[in-house]
Amino acid sequence: MDFGLSEQQRDVQNLAREILGEQVTAEKLAKYDSYAAERFDRELWQQVAQAGLLGVAIEEQYGGMGFGFFEAALIAEEVGRNIAPLPFISHCISAAMPVQQFGSAEQKQRLLPGVVSGEQLLTAALMEANNEDPTQPRVCSTRADGEAVLISGEKLCVPFAAQADYVLLAATDGDGAVVVMLPRQAEGVALEAMEVTTYEPQYRLTLSNVRVGAENILARGEQAQQLLASVAEHTTAALCAHQLGASDKAMRMTASYTAERQQFGVPIATFQAVGHRAANCFIDVECLRLNCYQAISRLDDGVDASVEVAIAKVWAGDVGHRVSYAAQHLHGGTGIDRDYPLWRYCTWLRHNEMMLGSSARSLAALGSKIAVGEAFCA
Amino acid sequence: MKVEFSAEQNALRKELRAYFEALMTPELKAECDESMGEGGGPLWREALKQMGRDGWIGVGWPKELGGRGMSPIEQFIFVEEVMRAGYPFPFLTTESVGPQLAEHGNEWQKREIVPKILAGECLIAIGYSEPGAGTDLASLKTSAVRDGDGWLINGQKMWTSLAHFCDYVWLACRTDPDAAKPHKGISMFLVPTNDPGWSCSPVVTLGGVRTNATYYDNIRVNDDALVGEENAGWKLITSQLNRERLSLVNFGPTAEMFNNVVRWAQQTDLPEGGKIIDQPWVQINLAKVRAGVEALKLVCYKQAWAMTEGQLDMADASAAKVYGSEFFIEVYRLLGEVIGQASLINRRTPGADPIASRIERLYRTASIITFGGGTNEIQRDIISAAGLWMPRASR
Repeated sequence: MDFGLSEQQRDVQNLAREILGEQVTAEKLAKYDSYAAERFDRELWQQVAQAGLLGVAIEEQYGGMGFGFFEAALIAEEVGRNIAPLPFISHCISAAMPVQQFGSAEQKQRLLPGVVSGEQLLTAALMEANNEDPTQPRVCSTRADGEAVLISGEKLCVPFAAQADYVLLAATDGDGAVVVMLPRQAEGVALEAMEVTTYEPQYRLTLSNVRVGAENILARGEQAQQLLASVAEHTTAALCAHQLGASDKAMRMTASYTAERQQFGVPIATFQAVGHRAANCFIDVECLRLNCYQAISRLDDGVDASVEVAIAKVWAGDVGHRVSYAAQHLHGGTGIDRDYPLWRYCTWLRHNEMMLGSSARSLAALGSKIAVGEAFCA
Repeated sequence: MKVEFSAEQNALRKELRAYFEALMTPELKAECDESMGEGGGPLWREALKQMGRDGWIGVGWPKELGGRGMSPIEQFIFVEEVMRAGYPFPFLTTESVGPQLAEHGNEWQKREIVPKILAGECLIAIGYSEPGAGTDLASLKTSAVRDGDGWLINGQKMWTSLAHFCDYVWLACRTDPDAAKPHKGISMFLVPTNDPGWSCSPVVTLGGVRTNATYYDNIRVNDDALVGEENAGWKLITSQLNRERLSLVNFGPTAEMFNNVVRWAQQTDLPEGGKIIDQPWVQINLAKVRAGVEALKLVCYKQAWAMTEGQLDMADASAAKVYGSEFFIEVYRLLGEVIGQASLINRRTPGADPIASRIERLYRTASIITFGGGTNEIQRDIISAAGLWMPRASR
């Protein structure tokens, strides 16, 4: 039992905190509002890569730091705290980690050094229309073409698809799934920009008989199911960490603002109605923090974490929503004024709440596990 | 960061679970039910002494104080298991007043009282609130006046729970009526309940639980009864409350109740076919409880760990108390909904289901700790000030 961070973990956290805290400013973020510019700070991405942070969970033989998922999730938390315009989760967690775990030696050698250096960008297509379960692709289907596969169908809300070199993507072959690293330039791939609440670059990715050669097939059959379950859990946990950073920051902005803002001649923080709503946020964020850290530590240890991840996602959804509205409300009009930085946090809190399963969906998933006796309290 | 127990701690947990399974005989369970989950009966007393003899009450206490020398985490595991077993454990004595006496008590208290607490032979009630002093505790009026080489105590306390079967009251008294600030004129005493000047009258509550008004009529005690320094009682009160808060929201009983309701819902047939648990709304209610219990577990374990590291954070202790106390109410509501109308059937009804009737009772007792142990409004004040550095209004 240890609720502290190791020295190594604190080092990674501090490094990310230092770089992102210094480089991500409200002025810079304002440039991306309403898609005025592509929300991807490539200069910062290079800086993060040079600091080694893109390779934090990648083995040393590929140029990485050789640490684990826990450290990577701590970076995701800092990305959330600063709502940094970087494809950290889609690149490092949703795509690079499965390549490392499930890829062939050739695939790892070809893809991972570029992942760490920032020269190659990966992403993952986890969503289909009316299907938010990334472990069960239904809209994209595949058929064999010799050793290769032909894929048709559509993925939605694929982050940074136009910027990426490869897209991790799953399609059903009728019996199970095939997971590929789709070269974005492959013939038959079409991208259409989608505008979403956060202004993150996202795309509708359409595939018409796209031929993916054996060299880019990552997993089939049972392996593919394992890979997709792992991607879903690790990405969900990373989203919880992002949510933790973002909600902690929104809460602390609110505490500072209410301590400064005067009405009736006193700081409004001195009113119990204000202090108590902020205290509720503190309790909420603490519950999210502990559940999130528990989920990422279990995933890091390689033990079953499906119940813990589902619970963390319930908290991430609920806490993000409640902190967002408490923060807006306690700021008054300032909270929604686009010249004040809070509003951008609110869009990200919503993004993390909905992505890979809302609270309602996560509760239903947890409820099914309880029903079959898989979620008793120890 | 690692939430799992060590192999030794898991073994300890297993050992304790088996220990309490054997200790909680049907007769003892029946007696505890009769006392509304408060304890105090003869079998209850004997079981407490047994735990003392077996070295459990002080499992996490230092050896020089008569404990087993393990850490606060092992102590927490013990309390979790004893409460999970449904034994009304006198945690106010053992987990909050006891450690205060061990740390700040005088020679007599350390020699006479602390070992008896660890032996399960001494029970102490808390005497803070008065008819006119609740949340504004520092306005208390019960007085202790110097009388030769001792003290003369007079006054009245309210909500002195368990006092009717306790040996002492941990009593907050005014010793300096002229102190510059009210909380700087308060001292703590251990007052024996067998003194002829001591009396109590029962107050029966919504949940059926008995509490007390207690009266202090010219009780004379000597200096041995004073805990810590004269007029330095406030710090003892606040640190006692910090410790109490953790025990109040122990999650063991809730985890056990969740598991029991899940099993019940898995096994119980619906008249139209299928089982109770097949219904989607039942699964959602259970999932809400499960997600909440997990947070409570982590909040509690983090504090047990923080105590081991010697860094119990004030905002965290208050957050645990607010979260736990308000969550319990939600738990009894959500699980009661799963059970349905049966969760209103009192245990005295022939054939009453033990799980359902437990919820019937607990739902009626659940409000106690949202105001007891320091009302949640004050806890939220503490959280916004100590956890978020927000200024607070002067009072």
